[in-house]
Amino acid sequence: MASVVRGALKLIKEKGIGGFFREIRNEGYLSGLLDGNLMQTKIHNIGATVVGVDKFGNKYYEKLGDTQYGRHRWVEYASKNRYNASQVPPEWHGWLHYITDHTGDELLLLKPTRYGVEHKENFSGEGDEYIYHSKGHALNPGQRDWTRYQTWQPKKA
Amino acid sequence: MGLGQLASRALLRSARLAASNPHHQFRRAIVTTPELHNSAESAAAEAHPEPDLPKRNPVAGARVHFPNPDDAIEVFVDGYPVKVPKGMTVLQACLMAGVDIPRFCYHDRLSIAGNCRMCLVEVEKSPKPVASCAMPALPGMKIKTATPLAKKAREGVMEFLLMNHPLDCPICDQGGECDLQDQSMAFGSDRGRFTETKRSVVDKNLGPLVKTVMTRCIQCTRCVRFASEIAGVQDLGVLGRGSGEEIGTYVERLMTSELSGNVIDICPVGALTSKPFAFKARNWELKGTESIDVTDAVGSNIRIDSRGPEVMRIVPRLNEDINEEWISDKTRFFYDGLKRQRLNDPMIRGADGRFKAVSWHDALAVVAEVIHKVKPEEIVGVAGKLSDAESMIALKDFLNRMGSENIWYEGNGPNPNADLRSGYIMNTSISGLEKADVFLLVGTQPRVEAAMVNARIRKTVIATNAKVGYVGPSADFNYDHEHLGTGPETLTELAEGRHPFYSALSNAKNPAIIVGAGIFGRKDKDAIFSVVDNIAKKINAVRPDWNGLNMLLLNAGQAAALDLGLVAESEKSIESAKFVYVMGADDENLDRVPDDAFVVYQGHHGDRSVYRANVILPASAFTEKEGTYANTEGCAQTTVPAVPTVGDSRDDWKIIRALSEVARVSLPYDNLSAIRSRIGTVAPNLLRVDEREPAAFSTSALRPEVKEKPDAAPFTTVVDNFYMTDSITRASKIMAQCSALLKK
Repeated sequence: MASVVRGALKLIKEKGIGGFFREIRNEGYLSGLLDGNLMQTKIHNIGATVVGVDKFGNKYYEKLGDTQYGRHRWVEYASKNRYNASQVPPEWHGWLHYITDHTGDELLLLKPTRYGVEHKENFSGEGDEYIYHSKGHALNPGQRDWTRYQTWQPKKA
Repeated sequence: MGLGQLASRALLRSARLAASNPHHQFRRAIVTTPELHNSAESAAAEAHPEPDLPKRNPVAGARVHFPNPDDAIEVFVDGYPVKVPKGMTVLQACLMAGVDIPRFCYHDRLSIAGNCRMCLVEVEKSPKPVASCAMPALPGMKIKTATPLAKKAREGVMEFLLMNHPLDCPICDQGGECDLQDQSMAFGSDRGRFTETKRSVVDKNLGPLVKTVMTRCIQCTRCVRFASEIAGVQDLGVLGRGSGEEIGTYVERLMTSELSGNVIDICPVGALTSKPFAFKARNWELKGTESIDVTDAVGSNIRIDSRGPEVMRIVPRLNEDINEEWISDKTRFFYDGLKRQRLNDPMIRGADGRFKAVSWHDALAVVAEVIHKVKPEEIVGVAGKLSDAESMIALKDFLNRMGSENIWYEGNGPNPNADLRSGYIMNTSISGLEKADVFLLVGTQPRVEAAMVNARIRKTVIATNAKVGYVGPSADFNYDHEHLGTGPETLTELAEGRHPFYSALSNAKNPAIIVGAGIFGRKDKDAIFSVVDNIAKKINAVRPDWNGLNMLLLNAGQAAALDLGLVAESEKSIESAKFVYVMGADDENLDRVPDDAFVVYQGHHGDRSVYRANVILPASAFTEKEGTYANTEGCAQTTVPAVPTVGDSRDDWKIIRALSEVARVSLPYDNLSAIRSRIGTVAPNLLRVDEREPAAFSTSALRPEVKEKPDAAPFTTVVDNFYMTDSITRASKIMAQCSALLKK
């Protein structure tokens, strides 16, 4: 607890009282008051080590020692109000789920440059334009033409 | 049950068999050494085949014809006695005995090469295995097809064949229907002993139809023999010897035969495959539909291979009377035209001259309204080349009910003779042409008009040295022929016996006169037909046992149209018509139609006549409907739907039936069997499907005398481009390529 207070005081000293409150809001402490998950993550974070930050700003924490095995890795999402598991890019997924001990930064080196596609979170419920539709789907704008014949065109354009 | 138990059971059974048949061993001995016994005993043994052999049937229902019963000889295949005529090969005898011998180079319709050595069998008292395809069967020969020696010999041959064969079955178009693949299942080894590098062969360019991967070639020379013997072009040959042996065109050139696609079928491996079909589908994905070709009047039997809504390829179907097992390149490769330029929605031309897609309801209502506004004699109907009998009878019935008698079939010319069936069909029949010994071709170029008929004539000419006389413009033939002249005056000379070819004709036992349907378009056709009749009478071409006076028609629906009497009251009526119903007639000249006439185009392709149409009614193509077609010899055959109709199109006769109801003159048939029974009242021969009904009377005796003399104008070429003759083939890209590269 003392370290938390020390950290807060240090922040006030650096940024001033206004900057301190802005920082508090940006870091999600205010939304954490209503969001139990976030608050629990924040409490969890105390004393944990940040293993890495991915390119979306998600922070990956690990705390060995007094935490239960299997609950010793977690993520604090970059977005404090709208977060979900699909925001974790594939390179961090393995580390986060104890599939591998290699961190996302290490695994990123293995990503193929030629055809590796950027990670995109799941936008379900965020509007049709964000949703992935397969190429046979009626809502896919680049929908494949399954007509197997060419029609006669009355006037050649 | 354990393996040991099984084995002991099997042993027990065989022991019991041996015990129950004590003569078994003894009789074997007689059969294998007949020379040690007297003939009576061996005859008795032959008369009673071994009772423990299960019955075997000839492979694929093969039948054998004994031209002379005395020539029958008996051979034994794996102990089965089988009677075959003298001169048959061991392989054919095995087929009759129900044993299918593996083979690559042997083909029923080609000469025997005997170079693949796959058909090796063991013959008793022969020191080595013999190639059964090249060995004539001899009386009393004892052939063993399943002995370890024969199997080992075939395995050896297979190993040598696979030595230089690439292992590319996964990317080979022949995969799944490859003889080498199939037979290597039985005789191939699971590992190779060949450690050197495989040879590779440069691919040859045979044109837009046949794709070559010559490394896969096993030098069976079937294609070479096909090209020289059946197709009659000397394009393919064998170059080099030993491991340097290659099949190729001697110099860089394309294969210029109209039958070239058949080398794809006869190639036992994937060396020659279809270029348009390359990598499009696997043969096990395809649904085969047995149907009829409509691109010419031969009515070749085809199998339409489709996948989903698409026709993927067309392959021939065996019909000894019509196309044997070949089809022309046009038949085989025009199918991509079925996917292009299709009409899929009913359309009405608006006031601005543009077409607008409308519903069937609106389109039929407009047509029905207009047809009631014009006078009956101003209504004209033209059936197109590809029309089936059902739609033609429906069109005729409908327009007759509207009061019009002016319905005709395009290309039949003015006043065609539809009364006497013998006057417009091939009376000799296509297979009957093989019996002819002299041919007289009048104004017809069978090579482009009916390639399969030409192949039949060529077969006869090669087999029996039959003479061919040709009257018409200079044309391309692939057999020996005499060009007698170009015009009707040559016919007159022949009729009067003044022409040198007349002696050949009059000395012929079975002369065959083949008149091209191009004559129908001439004004003096009656005069020409009477001259031809005179020739036929003089050379005795029409007898009770032989009818050698033939017409060679051009189009699939032509015979049926004449059977159904689609003859116009007056051909001039189109010039004063107010309502023209065009049912797929794209070669009819619609410039003659007055500008204020209302033209309905019913058809499946936007080809030529649609541009003049006021209303377009989309119909289905022959691959999408059931229809009856009669070929040039008068054999009725039906197409079967292979793929669904495109868009909103409907079957031809159904459109007319619906229109008749909207026009309040309902036709009395609602389904196919009802419309067929209606056809039966007009032309019962069209209902006898797959059976050729010969014409009842011959024409020459019944035709009225014609006083006028034929014109001096020479005969003209009727089909100037073999590859593009109708709306489907004109829409085809492959056919366009062919006509650009191979046009003769």
